[in-house]
Amino acid sequence: MKVTFIAADGTVTEVEVDEGQSLMQAAVSHDVDGIIGECGGSMMCATCHCYVDEAWAERVGAQQDGESDLLDCAVSEVRPGSRLSCQIRMTAELDGVVIHLPEAQL
Amino acid sequence: MLTTPDLAPLDEEITFDQLHLDPYPIYRRLRAEAPVLRVRSIGRTFLTRAADTKFVKDNPALFSSDDPNTPMKPAFQAHTLMRKDGPDHLSERMAMAPALMPGAIHKVWQPLYRELAEAYLDRLPKDGIVDFHTEISGPIAARILAHILGIPEASDAEMMRWSQTLMDGAGNFAWRPGPFEACDRANAEMNALFERAVERVRAEPNASAFSVMVNAETPIPLSQIYANIKIAIGGGINEPRDALSTTLFGLLTEREQLEEIRRSGGWGAAFEEGVRWVAPIQASSRRATEDVEIRGCLIPKGDTVMTIQASANHDEELFEHPERFDAFRAKNPHQSFASGPHHCAGSHVARRTVGQVMLELVFERFPNLSLPEPEAVQWRGFGFRGPINLPVRLN
Repeated sequence: MKVTFIAADGTVTEVEVDEGQSLMQAAVSHDVDGIIGECGGSMMCATCHCYVDEAWAERVGAQQDGESDLLDCAVSEVRPGSRLSCQIRMTAELDGVVIHLPEAQL
Repeated sequence: MLTTPDLAPLDEEITFDQLHLDPYPIYRRLRAEAPVLRVRSIGRTFLTRAADTKFVKDNPALFSSDDPNTPMKPAFQAHTLMRKDGPDHLSERMAMAPALMPGAIHKVWQPLYRELAEAYLDRLPKDGIVDFHTEISGPIAARILAHILGIPEASDAEMMRWSQTLMDGAGNFAWRPGPFEACDRANAEMNALFERAVERVRAEPNASAFSVMVNAETPIPLSQIYANIKIAIGGGINEPRDALSTTLFGLLTEREQLEEIRRSGGWGAAFEEGVRWVAPIQASSRRATEDVEIRGCLIPKGDTVMTIQASANHDEELFEHPERFDAFRAKNPHQSFASGPHHCAGSHVARRTVGQVMLELVFERFPNLSLPEPEAVQWRGFGFRGPINLPVRLN
């Protein structure tokens, strides 16, 4: 399955993701700039902030419990598509999902 | 045929004093020769490679923080969230978190920090040599923390003494009575002050940690509120103090980088590099909950491993010229704030106060700041590390 990450400067990176992997793990393991994921997915650091592309928003779904508290901590602006990428798990339905990355995480 | 992996090799040479004075050459050797090593003098299995330390921190089910039988319990007179796992840890952590989150930081703490930092820098003479570490780095860290916690009436000297006493107690693995007696006295002083603080924030809520915890819809027990505040005192002064002094040392000994940052404003990157270069918290412990194999070595159930993030931050696999302060690294995946559920709760505050306010302000006030004798700066510490002095020339 594939995920497309689009950086703030427009750089497009397409990576292979396994089912069940989080999008944060996918980005970090493929060295995608723009996702740090410092706390490893424990919802503690707010350094894996991403914007889900509008066309995919419904399929990706809403924020998990506690996610918005952390997003308040994110450095870049929170928008309607804002999610923590560590809380989005890859499923067949999300194959091809497009994720925009913020300008900064720290 | 199935074979059982052997225990990690055992070292009987490395001494605590060597680690306390200069652990980095030892860690460089261990990363190359024995990245999983039982160190007799410390009584722990050292992990010195970045992939291994991160693996441990990211897998709390395999490597537990839960250990009520460390010196931390008598030191803090409580089983604290630092030594808990899962929901118990989470509920106590999230109770305090709102005071440490960027929402509060942007609105309340960052402006206050700037004001306080300016006042503290005002107290310095115009020129001459001062010990920046003891005159500024320590006191300003104590002051902002007293405000964040909701105990501004505590003096800088009290905050720093309590902090050091708690840390000495928590590190008292020799179980000598002296450090615990000192902790008992410090706990009595803190408890007396906390009782008044609780009444005050009940009457007048604010953004402080005390207020957020006391006035929560379903508050955690008062004993754990006190424990959380003590953890923040024990763990919230030396680290930003050392991060600031270390980063200043790096910038003052790498003048070209300093000039470039003054042009470009990359103070945040300088802070990240400072905490990578010499991690304020160098090592931490986790207990294996089952037999685990790391790099072919058996970590038996019940064994305590020590993740050496100081060494992970110098791992040649991730960092070029790791021994050099370089604020212009393309990537800086350091582990100074750790990973996993115990990721440093103070990271947002430190990044925004030290990284985004203090460094810039210092050079704005003292554009000619210099370090005439870098070799006069002394570095100490195995568990916690930083300079113990920073004699700078102000003009």
